[in-house]
Amino acid sequence: MIYAGIDAGSRSIKAVLFDTSQNRTLASGLADQGVEQERLAAELFDKLLREAGLERSKISGVVATGYGRNAIRFADTTITEITCHARGVHRLAPDARTIIEIGGQDSKVISLEEGGRVRDFSMNDRCAAGTGRFLEMVALRLDMDWEKLSMLAQQSTKPAIISNMCVVFAETEIIGLLADGKPLPDVVAGVQNSIATRVAALAGRFISPPVFFTGGVALQSGMARALEEVLACPVRVAPQPQFTGALGAAVLAGTRGQGKP
Amino acid sequence: MIEHCQDFVEIAKGKGQPVVGIMCEFTPREIILAAGALPVCLCGGSAATIPAAEQVLPANLCPLIKSTFGYHATGKNPFLNRADLIVAETTCDGKKKMFELMSPTRAMYVLELPQKAGEPDALEHWVQEVRKFKAHLENQFHTQITDEKLRAACRLMNRERGLRRQLADLMTRDHPPLTGRQLIELKSIISGMEADLQQYENALNFFNQQQRQPRKSEIRVLLTGVPIVHGAERVLELIEAAGAVVVAMENCTGLKPILDDVDLDEADPVRAIAKKYHHLPCSVMTPNTRRFEMLRTLAAKFRPHCVIELVWQACLTYDIESFHVRKLAEDELQLPYLKITTDYSPSDSARISARVEALFETIREKQSS
Repeated sequence: MIYAGIDAGSRSIKAVLFDTSQNRTLASGLADQGVEQERLAAELFDKLLREAGLERSKISGVVATGYGRNAIRFADTTITEITCHARGVHRLAPDARTIIEIGGQDSKVISLEEGGRVRDFSMNDRCAAGTGRFLEMVALRLDMDWEKLSMLAQQSTKPAIISNMCVVFAETEIIGLLADGKPLPDVVAGVQNSIATRVAALAGRFISPPVFFTGGVALQSGMARALEEVLACPVRVAPQPQFTGALGAAVLAGTRGQGKP
Repeated sequence: MIEHCQDFVEIAKGKGQPVVGIMCEFTPREIILAAGALPVCLCGGSAATIPAAEQVLPANLCPLIKSTFGYHATGKNPFLNRADLIVAETTCDGKKKMFELMSPTRAMYVLELPQKAGEPDALEHWVQEVRKFKAHLENQFHTQITDEKLRAACRLMNRERGLRRQLADLMTRDHPPLTGRQLIELKSIISGMEADLQQYENALNFFNQQQRQPRKSEIRVLLTGVPIVHGAERVLELIEAAGAVVVAMENCTGLKPILDDVDLDEADPVRAIAKKYHHLPCSVMTPNTRRFEMLRTLAAKFRPHCVIELVWQACLTYDIESFHVRKLAEDELQLPYLKITTDYSPSDSARISARVEALFETIREKQSS
């Protein structure tokens, strides 16, 4: 049986087709998020079906997750990204006990029981500090793309201290640091450390190894290292970190049969 | 009930009855009623008045204080405008200082609460505060508050609390006949109104025989934390929309102030009234042991699947005390706990829903395994 998971995130939509009988992913893909997210998700879904050479009727169930999950009306049901990321990471790394997920506007820390069930979680409130939004703002301010930003951080020798906990105020602080002639790599590494510190505060009580890092921000080199430093434990980047939510949604669509939560 | 409250205030004013605005559950309504006045709650629950408040108050302050002050600044609360006296209290520093800003243009009276309620001399101090308040009302409203009037007011308020307790007790059923949102909607902002007591009785009779179709695997929630005043019910609505019923609210707009009655057998009614209010488990008290006792009792009685704590942004006492509440819920009661910190603006509703839904998914997964 083939199931689909669609993760409508704040920055991009991710989709996965998963075959439960073969226990493997048949296709996965990503599209930029936009105003008409249901249409964008449907186009991505169709694209994956074509790639996998499948008819829509072969899909036994669709689960939508992510902040835009309720807009995906062609899904049979919705499940939150917390449950989906937990399931997706557990599928790829069954020994995972803690998941750190940093996306475009959210960051979450999820603690798992043996067997992959969610034991506890915490998630950022209204404030976007400690999320991908922070890096995005810096990239925009420096007129630089995501990969370049990631490479810059690697060259840092003395990361800047960014004390502000608010993204908006931190932007002012960054402008100040740049005006003072602070080297660019140190500023970017400082931003990464600041995100890591926020996420560590979120994690508070429950970090038990092994810790897996997922979500779009896990693709930024330097971020995992920044997290390792503040958490004082090894942090492994999950395989295909952008897709763990969509994968979890597809797997849950299968195990819950038409996805009864 | 609000519109009907407004009519009632106008009728009372027409008859020359004074209106006394209150902003805290510590304010002894019995004394106000015995003075022949009408106690009306003035706590603000609207986001609309906050920008006006922020012209004076710091932005990083609890929305309840800002909204209340915003009503003062904009003059848009008809109850506040009709109030002959506003009773303030020292249950939080933000409110205490906000009252100072209101006092040049409004008649105010401040009640000082002993914050170490467990100390032997604390009750004596509070009894004195209540006596001074009684004298102030007698003076301002040119009346004599006799013991007889006080006892009548106590009987009335005991009856009101009793009816509200009976309504809340309907939620102990396996399938509560009403939702938490419906229950809070029944609450009046005026106290001791015969018409309201009648409404409570009608509601009790109605819901007693009512069956509500429960949703599939409905989650029972014990909600604790800050008060949910009229207009600020958003989080309660989000919780119930995610497939739950809020069976108990351990807060100032829920069960906290109605569990104890005034002892009618006590010789001195002022003392009896002071005693009833003295024990309220407010987060300004230190240590606030009674709140944890109350949470234990409510958990046993209402059988929740989880504890959700609501904290208004920048409410320091509830925010910090949540550490103990989480510990109590998770370690002792063995109930999952979720804290939601927010204000009156709806911009984080989707994010709150995601966390609440994820909590419920976790609970259902545990139930099904």
